[in-house]
Amino acid sequence: MKNILKLIFLTSVIISIGTTAQDNVELVAQCAASAGNVTYLKDFVVKLDAGVPGGKPPSAKFSMVLSKNTQYRFSICTAPDSEGEAILQLFDMNVLQGSTYISATGKEFPFFDFKCQKTGVYHVFISFKEGKVGESVGILSFVKKL
Amino acid sequence: MINRIIALLVVSLIVFACKSGGDKGAKDDFVVPEDVVTEGVLEISEEVMQDIVQNISSPVEMAALVKSLNANFSNDYLAPTDNVDELTTAFQQAFNLGVYAADLGYLNIYNKTNSVIDYITAIKTLADGVRVGQFFDFTTLKRLAQSNQNLDSLMYISVHSFNQMDKYLRTDNRSNLSTLMVTGVWIEGLYLATQVAKEDPHPELAERIGEQKIIMNDLMVILENYKSDKQFNSLIEDLRVLKSEFNDVSITIQKGEPEAIEENGMLVIIQNDISIVNISPERLQSIIEKTEKIRNKLISL
Repeated sequence: MKNILKLIFLTSVIISIGTTAQDNVELVAQCAASAGNVTYLKDFVVKLDAGVPGGKPPSAKFSMVLSKNTQYRFSICTAPDSEGEAILQLFDMNVLQGSTYISATGKEFPFFDFKCQKTGVYHVFISFKEGKVGESVGILSFVKKL
Repeated sequence: MINRIIALLVVSLIVFACKSGGDKGAKDDFVVPEDVVTEGVLEISEEVMQDIVQNISSPVEMAALVKSLNANFSNDYLAPTDNVDELTTAFQQAFNLGVYAADLGYLNIYNKTNSVIDYITAIKTLADGVRVGQFFDFTTLKRLAQSNQNLDSLMYISVHSFNQMDKYLRTDNRSNLSTLMVTGVWIEGLYLATQVAKEDPHPELAERIGEQKIIMNDLMVILENYKSDKQFNSLIEDLRVLKSEFNDVSITIQKGEPEAIEENGMLVIIQNDISIVNISPERLQSIIEKTEKIRNKLISL
């Protein structure tokens, strides 16, 4: 209930202030609110074209420092008019740490939590399933200190 | 006649475009300071710069750490806002914007809404100064702070506004000012951590302070890009002194594979790579002193 109220409030604030269309501000607010009772830290706004058939799906990369003994939440929201479903993956160097889509089981998650044990630079990749065209927002939130 | 109608339409379109996409907070007669615009050729590409700038710490994480350690709130850790009108160069405004954003994060984390007004007022003044005031929703933030309700929204709008200002500066070819903002956030976050460590030593705090060595290396890379500027060069000199303090802080990694588990239908990833920081008490003390000295000097410029 608290999250729904937060979502309504944030959406109304953002509509009322009429921010520039530089980013998908409304989707960012909705996605941040849907992440639950956590503290928003960053957003990753992505707009990707369709990939070449048979080729690697286009993706957007973002870098960030994550701190040891901290639980973070990575959420993904796909814009309503997108053809594809967005996927967020977290990498430490070239090692996959987590993903909102588990290809082995076909299971999708709107977010995953990451219990960080190593301070350092991490990379988020956002792409669309089957390389379809679309817009999405990834959100990094702070959950708690471990 | 047709030409006059076309001219009228063109003028109307220009006026409309300026109004709809324009700067709500900034004054119409605002004059762009000369030092706002990035000058000269960057030594590393803008793309690499943006990648590094994204890495630097957020305005709330250090405050959240301090609170999780049950440290008491103290007004003494905050930068004073009395002289904000005397910050007239874009350099001073961007740097202090970062400092105050970190302080606002600290106030928000501790729900100290009474003091928030001073800091959002200071941030609004500085944001207008560097022409990013349109991303800072002062009216809503003030209302939220005064009502002492919707504290989640107060936090969200504060952090989101900061991110928007930072993004805009980078897309507007003013990465120099974005760099100053993130430097301000970082030094204020380090100052907060070191001041708390001075009052109430805690092993976790010592470790987080030692880890700033990683961030400092990135920060110096981007700052060096602007060393031809006199003010940047002076900032770099100050931070070099601090950087040298981290030389004998060692960080080692114990390797392990990440584990994925499901908790109440939620996916949770547990990282098993573990970083271990070695920092001697003497070195920590020295970092605390140097940080205090440099931060106090920088906010008084």
